[in-house]
Amino acid sequence: MNHNSVKFRPSDKMGDLISSDYKLLLVMSRFGLSLGFGEKTVAQVCEENGVDCVTFLAVANFIHEGNNRMEGEVSDISIVALMGYLKQAHSYFLDFSLPAIRRKLIEAIDCSAKNEIAFLILKFFDEYVGEVRRHMEYEDMNVFTYVNQLLEGKTDENYNISIFARRHNQIEMKLVEFKNIILKYYPEKGNNNLLNAVLFDIFSCEEDLASHCMVEDFLFVPVVRQLEKEKGI
Amino acid sequence: MKNDVLRIAVAESSVIVRNGVLAILRRMPDVGTHSQIIELTSMTALQNCIQTHMPDILIVNPAFEGWFDIDNFKSDSLTAGIKCVALVCNITGQNILKKYDEVIDLFEDEDSFYRKIEALSKTDEDDSELETEALSLREKEIIICVVKGMTNKEIADKLFISIHTVITHRRNISRKLQIHSPAGLTIYAIVNKLVELSEVKM
Repeated sequence: MNHNSVKFRPSDKMGDLISSDYKLLLVMSRFGLSLGFGEKTVAQVCEENGVDCVTFLAVANFIHEGNNRMEGEVSDISIVALMGYLKQAHSYFLDFSLPAIRRKLIEAIDCSAKNEIAFLILKFFDEYVGEVRRHMEYEDMNVFTYVNQLLEGKTDENYNISIFARRHNQIEMKLVEFKNIILKYYPEKGNNNLLNAVLFDIFSCEEDLASHCMVEDFLFVPVVRQLEKEKGI
Repeated sequence: MKNDVLRIAVAESSVIVRNGVLAILRRMPDVGTHSQIIELTSMTALQNCIQTHMPDILIVNPAFEGWFDIDNFKSDSLTAGIKCVALVCNITGQNILKKYDEVIDLFEDEDSFYRKIEALSKTDEDDSELETEALSLREKEIIICVVKGMTNKEIADKLFISIHTVITHRRNISRKLQIHSPAGLTIYAIVNKLVELSEVKM
């Protein structure tokens, strides 16, 4: 990868990186990097924590740019580090972000028995979370297992990363629909700051999920594809 | 749901021209929410893209990496369905350009750029005029059946129409309301008083 063509470099200060794009806070924590980095550079922080700097910056630059760029060579990215990142992201969505939205939702909508819609909204949300869980568990169980085996030199005649890429769907789309239903049809009475707050969270979760799927499609898939090529698949 | 997304890939070696095209695409109305724009910097990237993220439209410089083999691309069954747009930056012969589905010139103006991409992105089923139309009485009946938990077959029998017609109605409902799931339709139906909560299949 050509380091001259990207925004963030190993010699940049970690603080500057986060200040210029706060979404990268999520990237940091998913790589297992914590706050309190002082004046250290990205390379220093990564090295001290045993994190692959190239992979960290590849993800950070990808998310910051928001472009789905595919290049010929992706060899510098560590598949193991990238998979670790993706697994952490899955656990963030399932164990933190979505449950937090659910709690706020309960607080924001009138859940008394006379509000029939509240019950349906929660049911819809729970169904959606179930779908996200199945989507991510499939990746954890099947895709990552496949890649780990590939790394050990074992190939599988019946599976390759292109199969995953073709059936990989945009999991945020149903969240968009959920949000739109609240926006268009929730019979809100007067001013509701709580509901707005949860809508903000949903908007940002939606964006985060979309960018997560992009990382899988345009960073992870090409890296695995390259590994497959090396193994003659 | 994947089929709703339009994939546009841009294959161009010049970073300035490539980013110019990307910027214009992003400003295009309706692009963004329903489209995915992919930036391709090399032939290897294009090949990977075809294997893993098959584009619907490919905007490519006929001189991409020296020479883009449009004949081969169009005759290969894998890639034959991709609509190819020539992004012309140098003088290129008409006999080559006519092999592309569309031609965009370096000095193309924005409106004609949009018109060309829009024309290529239209599928047979597209009928954007329907989008703003209100639900018909029949469609409301179908929604009521769906939220009561009836299958397409049961709906067809009850309303004396074919299953095929039921499916067409459901597709139109999804498009008009932008709601694709039964859970979403249920909320819509209750809020709009089409059904009572007690009638809904949980």
